[in-house]
Amino acid sequence: MKREPAAAIGSRAKDLAAEIRWLLSLLLSAILLFPESSSPADVSQGAQIAATCASCHDPTGGGQAIPPIAALDEQAIVKAMLAFRASESPSLVMHAIALSLSDDELAATARYLADRANAGRQP
Amino acid sequence: MTDCTRRQIGGLIGGALLAVAAPHVIRGQGRAKVVVIGGGIGGATVARYLGDMKSIDVTLVEPNSTHVTCFFSNLYLAGLRSLASLTFGLETLAEGHGITIIRDSAVAIDPAGRAVELRGGTKLSYDRLVVAPGIAFKFGEIEGYDEAAAKIIPHAWIAGPQSELLRRQLESMEDGGVFVIAAPPNPFRCPPAPYERASLVAYYFKQFKPKSKILILDAKDTFSGQELFQDAWSRHYPGMIEWLPSQFTGAIKAVDVAARSVVTEGETIKAAVANIIPAQKAGLIGEKAGLTDASGWCPVDPVTFESTLQPGIHVVGDSIIGGDMPKSAFSANSQAKACAFAIAAFLTGSPQFPPHLFNSCYTFLAPDDAFTNALTFAPEGGRIKTVKMFISKVGESAEVRRRTAQHAVGWYSAFTADVFGGGS
Repeated sequence: MKREPAAAIGSRAKDLAAEIRWLLSLLLSAILLFPESSSPADVSQGAQIAATCASCHDPTGGGQAIPPIAALDEQAIVKAMLAFRASESPSLVMHAIALSLSDDELAATARYLADRANAGRQP
Repeated sequence: MTDCTRRQIGGLIGGALLAVAAPHVIRGQGRAKVVVIGGGIGGATVARYLGDMKSIDVTLVEPNSTHVTCFFSNLYLAGLRSLASLTFGLETLAEGHGITIIRDSAVAIDPAGRAVELRGGTKLSYDRLVVAPGIAFKFGEIEGYDEAAAKIIPHAWIAGPQSELLRRQLESMEDGGVFVIAAPPNPFRCPPAPYERASLVAYYFKQFKPKSKILILDAKDTFSGQELFQDAWSRHYPGMIEWLPSQFTGAIKAVDVAARSVVTEGETIKAAVANIIPAQKAGLIGEKAGLTDASGWCPVDPVTFESTLQPGIHVVGDSIIGGDMPKSAFSANSQAKACAFAIAAFLTGSPQFPPHLFNSCYTFLAPDDAFTNALTFAPEGGRIKTVKMFISKVGESAEVRRRTAQHAVGWYSAFTADVFGGGS
């Protein structure tokens, strides 16, 4: 979140406090009423890259032959991707994808996938 | 969320809350509107990913209530899958992803007025339009082969009734007949598919009509995955499949529907069953809306997939041109995701990152023998350029090829869930 300038005048601060209270009440209502299904999708860099994963990996964590990734932790994803980056075997597809991601992109994607797994949400 | 301003967060939360409480109020009060024309792979993917953002009104216009996937339809032709197993309803997109679906066709687009006119008379206004019309055929390039002829001699290049017609003809064909496939010139939908079709129909013939032959009359002199196919044909179907490049025959010039024969530069060939896959161009609404160039395809910006000819209109899938991505379902899905995030950035100020574009195709040579490729792409100088390309090698072990075939089946299930919104 962007910070308000330090020179904000008193009335603006009051408006801000009211707005924060309103937001918090709205957020609380949203959480109580619609815990997951109505929350907007994440559009972070990790989420945008992870959208690619869903083209092959079953989002429900099932999957026939193609291993599920829904429950992996962050380090396991990074470790697996570095191994895929180093070798064409066992998967041409994963080798190509791992080579196309920078270390930062890989970290962001792994973090997003792990966070989503922790939250128990589907993409 | 770190890039969001306070106002955006308020808008998102408020929007999500009010959209559920009173969607009609939101619709009237300036939520951005995206209309998607075409519920195939590209269009359905864009709609699904934009719908999930829950901050944009998404309307999908599609005349059919279901989509039959072209990928895997060669397995149907060989009797290895039912057509029902390749058929997906669009209702999950409406129920699970908040998309309004209108069963109609777009007949006109007004780019200046930002409106789409439907056949039924409805007019839809939009802030951003996505056009994903797939392919149309250049009927007339082969004399005697037009839309009416395709009802007798199928192209089976748009899956559904055309696939059923070809399957019926193959089933009723007598053993010892010749199945002729006319393979089209580049560029066309799914480059390895005519040859996968030959492979899988050969698998069917080998079991039920072993004296039959398959003749591929190609409009080209080389084709995608050629070494892998020719190796597999000699291993699985020796003597059954003959491929004739354009330089040998001059390609097909004419079709005699009544005689079920095809005419090349030098000879007339009688077919027991024929499959004419015509040259292709962008789906017709693309041309009508001024989205196509002289090539017959739609040029686009490689980052946003916005038309370079009509601002405010995005095009994804088989109908685009302007780079190295093949016309495949995987490409369409990959482009659609990049397009959805770009549209969200335009309309809601959400962050946009350089797109990662991919293509991977599984191709069957027999039910337990498949090969794969994997390509990565990046925008460069206004075009989509291949960065890396990998493909299965001739001589891989039977175990590797069997595992690839199993991966293909797993991929199909996950991919169609991603596109049509099932399983989540």
